[in-house]
Amino acid sequence: MVKKCDAIVIGGGHNGLVCAAYLARAGKRALVLERREVLGGAALSEEVFPGFTFSVFSYVVSLLRPEIIRDLDLPRHGLHILPLESTLTPLPDGGHIAQWNDHDQNRHELARHSLRDAEAYDELGRLLHQMARAVRPLLGMLPPDPASLRVRDLASLARLGGHLRGLAPEHFHALHKLLTMSSADYLDEWFETEALKATKSASGIIGTMLGPRSPGTAYVLLHHYMGELDGVFRAWGFAKGGNGSVSAAIAAAARRFGAEIRTGAPVANVIVKGHRAVGVALESGEEIQAKVVVSGADPRRTFLDLLGPGQLPDDFVAAIRRFRFRGASGKVNLALAELPRFAGLPDAGPHLRGAISISPSVDYLERAYDEAKYGEFSRRPYLDIVIPSLLDPAMAPPGKHVMSIFAQYAPYALNGGWTDARREAFGDAVIDTITEYAPNLKGAILHRQVITPADIERTVGLTEGNIFQGELTLQQMFFFRPVPAWARYATPVPGLYQCGAGTHPGGGVMGASGRLAAQAILGEKA
Amino acid sequence: MSAHAIVIGAGANELVAAHYLARAGRKVTVIEAYTMHDAEGWIPPPIVRDLGLDGAGLKVGRADPWLTIPLPDGGRLALPQDVMQSAEAIRRVSPHDAERWPAFCARMASLARMLQTLYEAPPPDPTRGGLRERARQARLGLRLRGIGRKEIAELFRVLPMSVADWLDDWFETDALKGALGAAGIRHLRHGPRAGGTAFALLHRHVGEPPGVFRPATSNVMDALAKLPGIEIRRGVEISGIEVRAGTVAGVTLASGEHIAAPVVVSGLDPRRTLLDLVDPGWLDPELVRALRNIRSRGVSARVDVTVARAPGFAVLAVAPSLDFLERASDDAKYGRISREPYLEVRAGAPTVDGRYRLNVHVQYAPYALAEGDWDAARRSALGDMVVHSLAAHLSGGDDAVTERSVLTPRDLEGTAGWPEGQPHHAELALDQFLWMRPVPALARYRTPVAGLFLCGPAMHPGGGVGVAGAHATREILRR
Amino acid sequence: MLKTTPFHPRTAALCASYAWRRWAGYVVASSYGLSHEHEYHAIRSAAALLDISPLCKYLVRGKDAARLLDRVVPRDVAHAEVGRVLYTPWCDAAGKVLDDGTIARLDDALFRMTSADPGLRWLEDNALGLDVEIEDATDSIAALALQGPASRAILQEVCSKDLGALKYFRTTAAELRGAPVTISRTGYTGDLGFEVWVDAPDALAVWDALIQAGTPYGIAPAGMLALDMARIEAGLMLIDVDYISARKALIPQQTSTPFELGLGWAVNLDKENFVGKRALVEAAKRGPAWRFMGVEIEWESLEELYADVKLAPQVPAAVWRTSVPLYTDGDQVGYATSGGWSPLLKRYIALAHIESSHAAPGTRLEMEVTVEHRRMHATACVVRRPFFDPERKRA
Repeated sequence: MVKKCDAIVIGGGHNGLVCAAYLARAGKRALVLERREVLGGAALSEEVFPGFTFSVFSYVVSLLRPEIIRDLDLPRHGLHILPLESTLTPLPDGGHIAQWNDHDQNRHELARHSLRDAEAYDELGRLLHQMARAVRPLLGMLPPDPASLRVRDLASLARLGGHLRGLAPEHFHALHKLLTMSSADYLDEWFETEALKATKSASGIIGTMLGPRSPGTAYVLLHHYMGELDGVFRAWGFAKGGNGSVSAAIAAAARRFGAEIRTGAPVANVIVKGHRAVGVALESGEEIQAKVVVSGADPRRTFLDLLGPGQLPDDFVAAIRRFRFRGASGKVNLALAELPRFAGLPDAGPHLRGAISISPSVDYLERAYDEAKYGEFSRRPYLDIVIPSLLDPAMAPPGKHVMSIFAQYAPYALNGGWTDARREAFGDAVIDTITEYAPNLKGAILHRQVITPADIERTVGLTEGNIFQGELTLQQMFFFRPVPAWARYATPVPGLYQCGAGTHPGGGVMGASGRLAAQAILGEKA
Repeated sequence: MSAHAIVIGAGANELVAAHYLARAGRKVTVIEAYTMHDAEGWIPPPIVRDLGLDGAGLKVGRADPWLTIPLPDGGRLALPQDVMQSAEAIRRVSPHDAERWPAFCARMASLARMLQTLYEAPPPDPTRGGLRERARQARLGLRLRGIGRKEIAELFRVLPMSVADWLDDWFETDALKGALGAAGIRHLRHGPRAGGTAFALLHRHVGEPPGVFRPATSNVMDALAKLPGIEIRRGVEISGIEVRAGTVAGVTLASGEHIAAPVVVSGLDPRRTLLDLVDPGWLDPELVRALRNIRSRGVSARVDVTVARAPGFAVLAVAPSLDFLERASDDAKYGRISREPYLEVRAGAPTVDGRYRLNVHVQYAPYALAEGDWDAARRSALGDMVVHSLAAHLSGGDDAVTERSVLTPRDLEGTAGWPEGQPHHAELALDQFLWMRPVPALARYRTPVAGLFLCGPAMHPGGGVGVAGAHATREILRR
Repeated sequence: MLKTTPFHPRTAALCASYAWRRWAGYVVASSYGLSHEHEYHAIRSAAALLDISPLCKYLVRGKDAARLLDRVVPRDVAHAEVGRVLYTPWCDAAGKVLDDGTIARLDDALFRMTSADPGLRWLEDNALGLDVEIEDATDSIAALALQGPASRAILQEVCSKDLGALKYFRTTAAELRGAPVTISRTGYTGDLGFEVWVDAPDALAVWDALIQAGTPYGIAPAGMLALDMARIEAGLMLIDVDYISARKALIPQQTSTPFELGLGWAVNLDKENFVGKRALVEAAKRGPAWRFMGVEIEWESLEELYADVKLAPQVPAAVWRTSVPLYTDGDQVGYATSGGWSPLLKRYIALAHIESSHAAPGTRLEMEVTVEHRRMHATACVVRRPFFDPERKRA
């Protein structure tokens, strides 16, 4: 039997669900097909061990677009984002440096290390706030095609030019620096405290096979401040119930608008007839027709697996092949019998309610990167840790805790490949690293789950385990994402669209790609 | 003693600026300040024409083959200037790479041409909407448009890439990628996997023929010095630039001598010029901060050796792979000299006694060492290492070298005035490029001190012989 | 955690109101009593003791100390003799005010600078090439303001120096019951008053001595609410309330030149150079677009508005610090930034930014007031600052 609908969305990750929700909201019959039995793609919560629930692959909500929260009314569908108030960086000498949301507390803490840095922090914060304001519209904008002479693209390019031209000169120059510098060099211009520079610069390397000294990593510093701009939405934080509840809320909204969502429905390929995508074939053999097919899978899977290179122009295929993924990070999820105790800090102090960053120096991060460059995981990795059960006690049995550890670098292309033994060795490296700062950790572990980029690829289907569906580097952003001239969600095959994080603006649990893709499909002006 | 214009420094930029000013009727005194170094690279034809350099005996030399690459099997890959011939040479190591070589050369040439268009004029200022600026940008835009919007987009895509990614997209042979990639990291502290190194490779290709990725050499310094019309005072040390009421008044020499002039043009690095020679009280604090933040990390040493037998190459690159370069840079990242540095050897003409002088570029030898400082022992150890590494590539092995002299980044700072040993004065990076070079407030060759201009390598475009000097003069004469 | 000042053991014991507020990361008393009225009147009729330790304090010493400060501020520092205190704003390169504070010349080559916001980085970055040492003394020096008509008599009880000889905006080293202090005849109340600067370890002894000596004169510890009213009567602006530092402004419209804040008198354009001079020369030529003025809300007009809803006129119980629009014929021409009922002058007064063309003293504007949930306009008259300027302040 052949089923028919307006739009098929391949993949029930958060972008696919957002796209389906917007399409359904516009009155289209949208059908989401998810390969797995669970929704959410990488934004997933699972009770991995009895009583212990984790955001298995991702860990925080960073930049979930406020317009999506509003348009889909996500809080009514169960989204509750709990704020993270601080970032603690424990130091090898038993000291620490923390960044706090409270201005006075933050100042006092930084002034312990450097009076200059305490002042510079506010000034940099102001500048990045202004920069974030300047850049934020780009996140919600269909990227123009700079090589196109179509009126639509020219107008869009002119708008972009006008927007950038409207910046004050000092802001234009600051933006230029952010786009082109390394996060370490950029922060060197502001700070002298090594651990502060390292912790801030670490946000520039998350998910990317680059070290903090590599140009192109400074830009991501802005993302944090974009989160702050949307401060009232508390877009930076931890989703109650884990990131799966973000997906669940979006799915509930999509269903509410009339979208149909099927799990356990793996798509084998996109059906093309007369150079046009007309539907999909499931692995079960079932075929479903649709006016448009939207792929939430990453560009390589979409074009090389689901479609096949034969359907595409050679230069497009070449561009997809050179699109870089290079998954660089893994996750370790721990079920804990007690909270970690960090030297010189109170046992269950407020510092544990924020992020804990293992990033004592820029050199530390660079050394971690060095190992990954040559195909090894970092023996002392960069870690970004949260303890969600302190914010949401339902994540763990009473008195017990879950710890969610983002760990980098774990290169996808590990020498000799990822095996069970190598996975556990990586997990040991992560735990040994934390134990150096919180000696009771090792003894507190009840269960552990270690996830490598190979696991991410196998389980969620993200190529090379890249959590952003492709590196977020300057040459793969905006109108280059994923392929120049094909950054507006359409593809060379009419009727086939993309909506995953492999398209602009990509990255994180943001949902912007899904929303913009829906707008492009609906022909709306963005 | 008084002069109409004083030019500080006697590099190619300063001499070009001096001659243009002289041609505009100014009386020009050039204060040498530092010992000169050979200028290499692209000489824009308008400069040759305007200054009559051909008449002054200018000779540009370009070796053919322009590069010799040692191969892991002990053989050598020599790349002739002719693209088809070099493709044939490459075919012996990789038919795949040979297939791609002509397209690569063409693409590089097209991308470099776009940069050249940007380099042939003072940098555009996208933040200014004045009529003149708009007209300038429109002209520039039209010229670029002639190139095609698709290519412009490609340029934007390639510039921020790492040279490793860029070359990996084209080639499979480590030796070829290493030798080409070396041009992308030359004088940068980064390794080839760092973003923006594809830009550095392109930057060095500007003005060179397609398929040639090493700069030409010339006697342009001699020719510029020989040209009449300017006074050059050699061996003079400068101690200050005098400012009165926000306007330049002249310079003071270490001897105590004052030379008054309403125009002073400095080819020294901007920090030395503005923070050391000028009372920084004349500068806004934000500019002072920006100046201090200019990155100028020197990473190269220079070793000159004499060998008894003909070396059998004109230019030899010891950079066997991109990973080799990356590992060499890892050392520098932590303030150490590379245990296995990238070497590039340029052979000179035979000396009168039949020996050969080789000039060796050694990278990475960072200016700022994590432990200790550049002392005689380190200098000598570096020389030993270089001589030893060279032995594998010279007939005669370890005894091939008869004489050597080593210039560490610290030596080069002292003798050549390169800040931290960085010959570009401001590193060639995308954040110190175009309107950002060396800092936005100085990008138009002017300083906050009226009458004081900058014309050195830190200024746009940061490459090519005398280009910044020519652009600076244009700004000076516009007043 | 918030910091406490060296006086906290005393102020905490006295703070019956439990009303505290933050000041630059420190916690200080809003008022000690359940109402701040007594504390306010002490300032004007006897003497009040205020803990002003949270002020940022920098000691600038060295051969080029005067040169550094002359580079940073628009007033003439080099020519200030030892013992002189200068009130001054300072600006960024665009001539926009960053902060304001005092500079006391303690010695030929030693200055103490106070500021509202931390400014160490700015001072250091301006000190390039100068032989000068900058010490952040914010935590190491405690400070008290003793303000009011009886302040001199009280201070004289415990201090050997002849304070009658200490002129307005002068400072002197002294001993206070054995503790080395510097005393400056300065303040933030527009009254006769002194500020006492003491090393933190001696802070409590100085507090105790002043309280003891002041008790017969009616001394009262006073909190920020009382001070706020007094400083408005004195026409003195407060950073973050009456103006936004150029360091914190998010848009250019939030910044001000000294001229727009009525501080043109502190800008010496004849100095060879200082940060922002180039921009301020231009700004001086153009003249300020805004003026910082006093306004008095006319009682009769307020009374009428309340009469319309059958209520007696109400005035705010404490100083407000919100932006309140000022209109003329329905067009907004300014905004008041802080104001309140002056218990002494018996007038409703406010500090306001007013477009220059409407800022002449005597100009009648309308100020928004909320009367029984409705926004109304009351007549407000532009006046010169200060509202209150007793002779004893300088005598």
